[in-house]
Amino acid sequence: MSITINIWINEERLAKLQKAGLAEMAQEVLAGLKVLKVPCTEEQKDKVLKVFPTAKYDSATTRSIELLPREVKDKIFDKVVEKQSLDIMEDFLKDY
Amino acid sequence: MNHIGHGNKEIVERVIAPEEAARAIKGLTPVPVSNQIANEIIDIAYGFFTPLEGFMTRADVDRVCKEMRLANGVLWSIPIVFDMSSEEINEKGIKEGDKILLTFQNQPMAILEVEEIFAYDKQEMAQRVYGTTEEKHPGVARTYRYKDKFLGGKITLVNPPKINPPFEEFFFTPRQMRQKFAEKGWQRIVAHQTRNVPHTGHEWLMKGSWLQAHGELPVEKTITGVLVNAIIGEKRKGDYIDEAIVLCHDVLRKAGYFREDVHMTSITLWDMRYAGPREAVFHAILRTNLGLTHHMFGRDHAGVGTYYDPYDAHRIFDQIPEADLRIKPVRVLEWWYCPVCAEVTYSGLCGHIKERQNFSGTLIRSIIQDGVKPPRLIFRPEVFDLIMECAEKYGFGDAFVTDRYLKERNPVFVLPEMKY
Repeated sequence: MSITINIWINEERLAKLQKAGLAEMAQEVLAGLKVLKVPCTEEQKDKVLKVFPTAKYDSATTRSIELLPREVKDKIFDKVVEKQSLDIMEDFLKDY
Repeated sequence: MNHIGHGNKEIVERVIAPEEAARAIKGLTPVPVSNQIANEIIDIAYGFFTPLEGFMTRADVDRVCKEMRLANGVLWSIPIVFDMSSEEINEKGIKEGDKILLTFQNQPMAILEVEEIFAYDKQEMAQRVYGTTEEKHPGVARTYRYKDKFLGGKITLVNPPKINPPFEEFFFTPRQMRQKFAEKGWQRIVAHQTRNVPHTGHEWLMKGSWLQAHGELPVEKTITGVLVNAIIGEKRKGDYIDEAIVLCHDVLRKAGYFREDVHMTSITLWDMRYAGPREAVFHAILRTNLGLTHHMFGRDHAGVGTYYDPYDAHRIFDQIPEADLRIKPVRVLEWWYCPVCAEVTYSGLCGHIKERQNFSGTLIRSIIQDGVKPPRLIFRPEVFDLIMECAEKYGFGDAFVTDRYLKERNPVFVLPEMKY
């Protein structure tokens, strides 16, 4: 199981995905939630945790990076839409 | 009524009446204490920490660290210490045999009979208790923050705290708690330890452990209960606010997810040490004193990061002779969401391993922070709505701890004004 950042799809994000024709990119999980699972390498995970100290890596249960500030997740989301790909963390972290 | 607590010792309240208190504190040297110490004074004075009657002396600390026992041989896992700097001790002229007045919120709180002033190697304490000396472990960091000396001795509460709303209806001393259980007719009570707003994984942990604790008992009458015991203590930015944790647990019963006669919410004042297995033993002791018969332990109980194996807190009970604890551990695996079963289900029963979808309190916090309302199968709508209400009412617009909440929140308790 790889490390991910979960971008939960609220109404605003769903509208953007639909506009970009990317609605299919979101997976449905947990009885009806939509999520973009953005993959991270071990190194990228370490950098994310260093750059955003409020973030937490849930190693025990979900192997996901959670509690990133919403504006950071908005930026990650925008990058996914811009690149039309989930594989964006290397590019995203260049700015940090 | 049975008031026998941990170590087969009677639960004794070390609290004196106001008139006697005013006389007793006259002329004593005042020493202000931290939030942690103030919480622990309350815990000791009301018997939450039975058989402790005060802060530990060196012999207790040493044996707790090395053998997980008090000097008298009773099982105990976490040092309960009162720290003070050598400078302050010298400045105030405190010596063994003195009585000093511990103050909090600028009010008298308790008398400490200074039996011993001692030093202890903090690295040794950290290694023994937490299994590491790394400062990034929050319990280790707390240990390193202790000042260079410890004062051991009995304490007596002279100014009982007034618990503020909304917590006042959830605070029960061990004696009051036992009275409550007697009124409810509960013969078995299983503890759910929490620092979290409940999602349905927690709800099912409680329901599952209720079934395990109830076991062979007859079913026509409710004689088994679940006690949610929320730990209220030091908060970190990003945690749920305390008010949301307590009220959201309580709403599970009010909204009918638990029957009125099987569920109760309560609080205990304690700064989590994140000591994993050792903290599990401490929680078992604490809840023994509250009168519980069973304690549920889930995955990674009181753990942090990767310092402990997820089931270390289960295994430690294998090393403890049954006679040393008056409470039974209820060991449980996690509950997950299974899209094939289309329900939240027990990982020890569900065979859809590949399809399983784990969720955690942290994951749910992330969902909420992203502005998404989780489905009712994962998170009850009444809990979600109450979080939002708590954010407005207690959290300055935020359900999670912010700098403003840390500075301006209404304290959990206040000490009434008292002349000294």
